[in-house]
Amino acid sequence: MGFLVTTLIFVVVGIIASLCTRICFNRGPSTNLLHLTLVITATVCCWMMWAIVYLSQMRPLIVPILNETE
Amino acid sequence: MMDYVNNLPAMDLMRSEKMMFAQLIIPVESAHRAVSYLGQLGLLQFRDLNDDKSPFQRTFVNQVKRCAEMSRKLRFFKDQIQKAGLLPSSLPSSQPDFELEELETRLSDHEHELIEMNANSEKLQQTYNELLEFKMVLQKAGDFLISGGSSATQETELEENVFINSDYADAGSLLEQEMQHGTSHQSGVKFISGIICKSNIMRFERMLFRTTRGNMFFNQARTDDHIVDPATNEMVEKTVFVVFFSGEQSRKKILKICEAFGANCYPIPEDLTKRRQITGEVLSRLSELETTLEAGLRHRDAALNSIGFHLTKWIIMVKREKAIYDTLNMLNFDVTKKCLVGEGWCPVFAKDKIQEALQRATFDSNSQVGIIFHVMDSTELPPTYFRTNDFTNPCQEIVDAYGVAKYQEANPAVYAIVTFPFLFAVMFGDWGHGICLLLGALYLIAREKRFSSQKLGSFMEMLFGGRYVLLLMSLFSVYCGFIYNEFFSVPFHIFGPSAYRCRDATCSDARSVGLIKYRATYPFGVDPSWRGSRSELPFLNSLKMKMSILFGVAQMNLGIILSYFNARYFNNPLDIKYQFIPQMIFLNCLFGYLSLLIIIKWCTGSQADLYHVMIYMFLSPFENLGENKLFWGQSVLQVILLLLAMIAVPWMLFPKPFILKRRHTEIPRPHLWSSWNFRCVQ
Repeated sequence: MGFLVTTLIFVVVGIIASLCTRICFNRGPSTNLLHLTLVITATVCCWMMWAIVYLSQMRPLIVPILNETE
Repeated sequence: MMDYVNNLPAMDLMRSEKMMFAQLIIPVESAHRAVSYLGQLGLLQFRDLNDDKSPFQRTFVNQVKRCAEMSRKLRFFKDQIQKAGLLPSSLPSSQPDFELEELETRLSDHEHELIEMNANSEKLQQTYNELLEFKMVLQKAGDFLISGGSSATQETELEENVFINSDYADAGSLLEQEMQHGTSHQSGVKFISGIICKSNIMRFERMLFRTTRGNMFFNQARTDDHIVDPATNEMVEKTVFVVFFSGEQSRKKILKICEAFGANCYPIPEDLTKRRQITGEVLSRLSELETTLEAGLRHRDAALNSIGFHLTKWIIMVKREKAIYDTLNMLNFDVTKKCLVGEGWCPVFAKDKIQEALQRATFDSNSQVGIIFHVMDSTELPPTYFRTNDFTNPCQEIVDAYGVAKYQEANPAVYAIVTFPFLFAVMFGDWGHGICLLLGALYLIAREKRFSSQKLGSFMEMLFGGRYVLLLMSLFSVYCGFIYNEFFSVPFHIFGPSAYRCRDATCSDARSVGLIKYRATYPFGVDPSWRGSRSELPFLNSLKMKMSILFGVAQMNLGIILSYFNARYFNNPLDIKYQFIPQMIFLNCLFGYLSLLIIIKWCTGSQADLYHVMIYMFLSPFENLGENKLFWGQSVLQVILLLLAMIAVPWMLFPKPFILKRRHTEIPRPHLWSSWNFRCVQ
């Protein structure tokens, strides 16, 4: 689906998650900031994981070589 | 932008709570109650004002001793309950709290009772054992003597009879001959009957044979039942023996040997009717004793049960009292000896709660004077206190295990709540196992109330305490499992078909040259064609190593940026100029550059060897890159980065210590200087 499109999807999911957290767990401004930090950290971690695996497969230097026994 | 950032409210867990230093002046009558209520609140940390005194010089040393004595008694009760095999049960306590003195007297009463009962039952058990042995001796030894008891008319020539041990065949006739004259005042044959452990009997017999020079006759019979040996509390097999001998000397020797071997001797009458009579008596006494013993055991179990109901409550009470007296020992008596003075740290938000607790203590103890609580200034650094809940507490504990943050420093636990489970998941990476872990974590959370009231083993307690961390770990594991495409190590084609296929229709060279990528990249995660192929490991290893480098560099950068925010908070431009900037330069010139190279290599598909590039950047920076060139201007950039990194190292290490030393010597501190000088001279 393309790198940029999926990145945009991650951004959108992150924003939706923070809004949901703000709606469901609204406990005062300082706690809300903490929740926002946690959601953003989680989104960035997950996106990085996906992006690394995607980028490494874009122009592969080695290809799968099937096993003898198969 | 910076204004917006500056005006944001402080994040909850980010910096430790503001603390204030307080002094308490407590009148003596309300001291105990005040400390008890403050302890229940748990928000004040007393400083030990009697640091230099030994434990025996402190004010409340007697009370502490009493508490220690009571906890010893409670431990004794617990042991006894365990030995008796009773399960500790707790009655839901609707009774009011006991006073300490009342509890003390009750505990000593119970202890006396228990010790007495134990001693009595021991004595009874001993008597019971003896009677049991006597009964066995009567039964078995009677068999030896029974044949000779009836014929009273036979004459014997006793002085001619030499009794040899080995002559068992004549046993019957010998016995017949000597039995009528078996009374002790005649110089005839006497016998000693008794019982001994089966394991000792061979040596016993041999010893008897040697000492009496063969002038004895030994007979033995094994018993059917086992007897409880009072010393070791186990069941042993015993053997009944009868020794026939003549002469007073032999008697003394034999008795001594019996004593040495731990054999119990029981005299039995030779007369059959008398034996039967005594046997009957013994049996009736035995059954009496049995009932008495059982009754005693039941009585003791009832007493232990009644203690066991309250045991946990008492243990908690005594622990609490000991803690209160330990805290009271930290306070000082003031000049008039009527008040206790204490100093401690408490968070600013707790001030009202503490004052309310102190007022309640004054009211409850009917004291005329109120407790004074006022804030003082202090020069030392306040302790670090984070307000955590069930969710953030385990993460804070994990971070504290590496090192507790200084007062009001940025708390890494904020990020660790997410990064710790995430990095666990990067290592775990299987959505099948992740779902199992998720079910386990959900079970722990669903049964929260039940588990929190129970007492769990140490491993379960750790698991239960970290149930929210487990939940996060499992959710991230499921996500990483999808990325690594592993369901119990089996890949699935969830996100579309694989991007690889054979080069031609016959797939002839699939096992030598391999497949070819003909479509766009597999959209989410590792392509399922990799699993099981020969080149799977080289590909996955390279991918995971580069992933670790990228995550590591990102996390290190996060740490250094947090230190920048710390320096800004504490208004420390020295740190910013001489620590943050050179650290950022050094990290990013070397490892940030490596990360950049990794990403460029992935995006362009170049064949460059990154090991080679990084190593020769240091060894021969001016050499031509050749086939390792990834982008235009790379060699120039590498030289610039190398120079920057080399400048950053002395920038990081040297200026700050010298500036700090200059600041320290510039400030006039006469008393400090003289004490420092004095120590040097010493």
